[in-house]
Amino acid sequence: MAQAQGAATGKAGAKDLPGYAENFLTTDMDGVGPDGKPTGQKATFSGASKADAKAGQAVQNQMALTQEEQDILNGKEGKEKARLMKILVAYGNAFGAEKLVDLGGAPHSNMYVGTDYMGSMIKMFDECAKAGLKAYAPYTVNPRPYDLYNVNNNPGDMELIYDGYKLQRDLDWVHVRLGAPDLNLRSCACYLDEVGNAPKPGTYVAWAESSAVNFGNSALGLRTNRNGAGMDLLSAILGKAPLFGLMTDEGRKAKWLVEIKTSKEPDWGAVGTGIGTKVVEDVPFITGIEKYFEGGKVTADNLHLLKAMGSATAASGAVGLYHVEGVTPDAKEKGRDLLVEGYQTYVIDDAEQERIIKTFPNLWPEKDGDPTAVFIGCPHNSYFEIIKYGRLITEALDKAGKEKAAIPIYMFCVNKVRDRVIEEEGELASKMKRAGVHVTNMCAVSYAGMKGFSERVRGITNSAKTRNYSTIRYFPDDILVKAIVTGKIPKGA
Amino acid sequence: MAKKSFKGRPLLPGNLEGKALVSKQAFNTSASYLENMFAGRTDSAPCTDSANKDLYKKDLSGAILCTTQTVGSTMGAGCIMGMNDLGVGLKAMLFSSHIDSIAAAGLYMDDIWNDRRIITVDLLGDEFLEAVKTGDPISIKEDGTVEVG
Repeated sequence: MAQAQGAATGKAGAKDLPGYAENFLTTDMDGVGPDGKPTGQKATFSGASKADAKAGQAVQNQMALTQEEQDILNGKEGKEKARLMKILVAYGNAFGAEKLVDLGGAPHSNMYVGTDYMGSMIKMFDECAKAGLKAYAPYTVNPRPYDLYNVNNNPGDMELIYDGYKLQRDLDWVHVRLGAPDLNLRSCACYLDEVGNAPKPGTYVAWAESSAVNFGNSALGLRTNRNGAGMDLLSAILGKAPLFGLMTDEGRKAKWLVEIKTSKEPDWGAVGTGIGTKVVEDVPFITGIEKYFEGGKVTADNLHLLKAMGSATAASGAVGLYHVEGVTPDAKEKGRDLLVEGYQTYVIDDAEQERIIKTFPNLWPEKDGDPTAVFIGCPHNSYFEIIKYGRLITEALDKAGKEKAAIPIYMFCVNKVRDRVIEEEGELASKMKRAGVHVTNMCAVSYAGMKGFSERVRGITNSAKTRNYSTIRYFPDDILVKAIVTGKIPKGA
Repeated sequence: MAKKSFKGRPLLPGNLEGKALVSKQAFNTSASYLENMFAGRTDSAPCTDSANKDLYKKDLSGAILCTTQTVGSTMGAGCIMGMNDLGVGLKAMLFSSHIDSIAAAGLYMDDIWNDRRIITVDLLGDEFLEAVKTGDPISIKEDGTVEVG
């Protein structure tokens, strides 16, 4: 960051670079490895590898449009829709799509930050809203990047927020008019029962948010590519998306067989990180973990395992789909026929899991300091997780004869989950609050990206995704709970 | 130097001559425009991505950028549009690999919605990026041919 600030110094036309910008340097895959050298990756981030594409062949990609689509393109439904259709068709042709398909279920958008530089895109969708356009169904949106009530309720944070997210109100208003009016439903885990955006297997959608795409494709059996901010809403307004990549049978085939052979329950975040780093954006077929999903079912009580592993594959790589033998819909239907001929194999045993964890650097400026805050819930916690961690934490405190945790705990979840906890487990909720648990509906990664965060906070988490994008250190649940009780990281952890 | 010719896929075609600005590693869109995105700079676009040894501190405004692909935040599409709003956008993007989904979204949205074109050619091949150096004369033809030298 010092270098980036230095670039601004003394140059006409620029003010000092605000510090909250620093973490935009490290988002998603940055194309350089841990050694700082280019990785030479060829990921399209769509979920469809095009590493072998050739110009001569690719240039011929032209989708066939239906009469209805052609009419929209010709302006029969207004100039705004015509332009949106033109963008979608060009985008589809670029990726070799066969045709457009009608979308079902409901959209999910990751357009959630109202920063100045997003102004042009926000204005585009504002013009759509003004023209009376709407998404094909009420939709869900990622959590807002701040919470002025439970986390950022201090003048320093508020100054940064009001300065950094000047267009947040405009963006919220765009979403309200296009079909996402309820801020209580803002969550990256849109598929939770409390949010309710979990379409049936096989449904075509055009979701954005890497963890939601990853879970939706894999655990729900949806068919969506990884969409960047903007293409999600554009597709939602048209109710159509170009058919390619992870939306096709061919694109859902696995190029990797991943065998999990750990002697105990795997560290889901570590395993996910290892897989993402290895396969980048190819599809892995994972074996050895079906025993953690009783009867081969993904339920409200075990989905957090896939959420933790999958989001890590999407953050450390660009995995948009994985199959779990005997568990996920595609794997149940087709089994190992999903593996392509000549697939590669990656084994994660105890030694490999340990190796992966050892690659996680300690990025705290004061490396031997004690932790000052705990972050749980990236992607957003499910109801099961809030209850699980609530009990783990309060029982550990009871055992230690304490009522309050040594350091604050931030638990991230959608408001609807928080409300359910209060309604159904009121006593536990009260105890958690007294212990120092702050329940918030904001995005954990956004908080970790605020100005001076790493100097102010020595965070610890059990989320491999949060770890990937921030200076927050990763530990398994038992270490996390010990640190919560004592304020210290146990020796040797 | 002898002229070398490469044939790519013209995604957003156009004719243009100028000098190349080369990044051998993928271009991290959002990390490269921090001063413009957050510090109000509109007179130039010094690359702020310190991880990019080829481009760091070099002016991206109006450049013909030659690189592999783009990486970085999924908000990168908005960033491409935003830089054109500020008048510091690129003139052309020449990719050796297949275009990625984030760049494609921003480039097409700005071209079609805002009528602002950044000439874009992809699939020029690894040989293109091996041959081209920053400062080389470069000529882009509407059919996706790129001449270096």
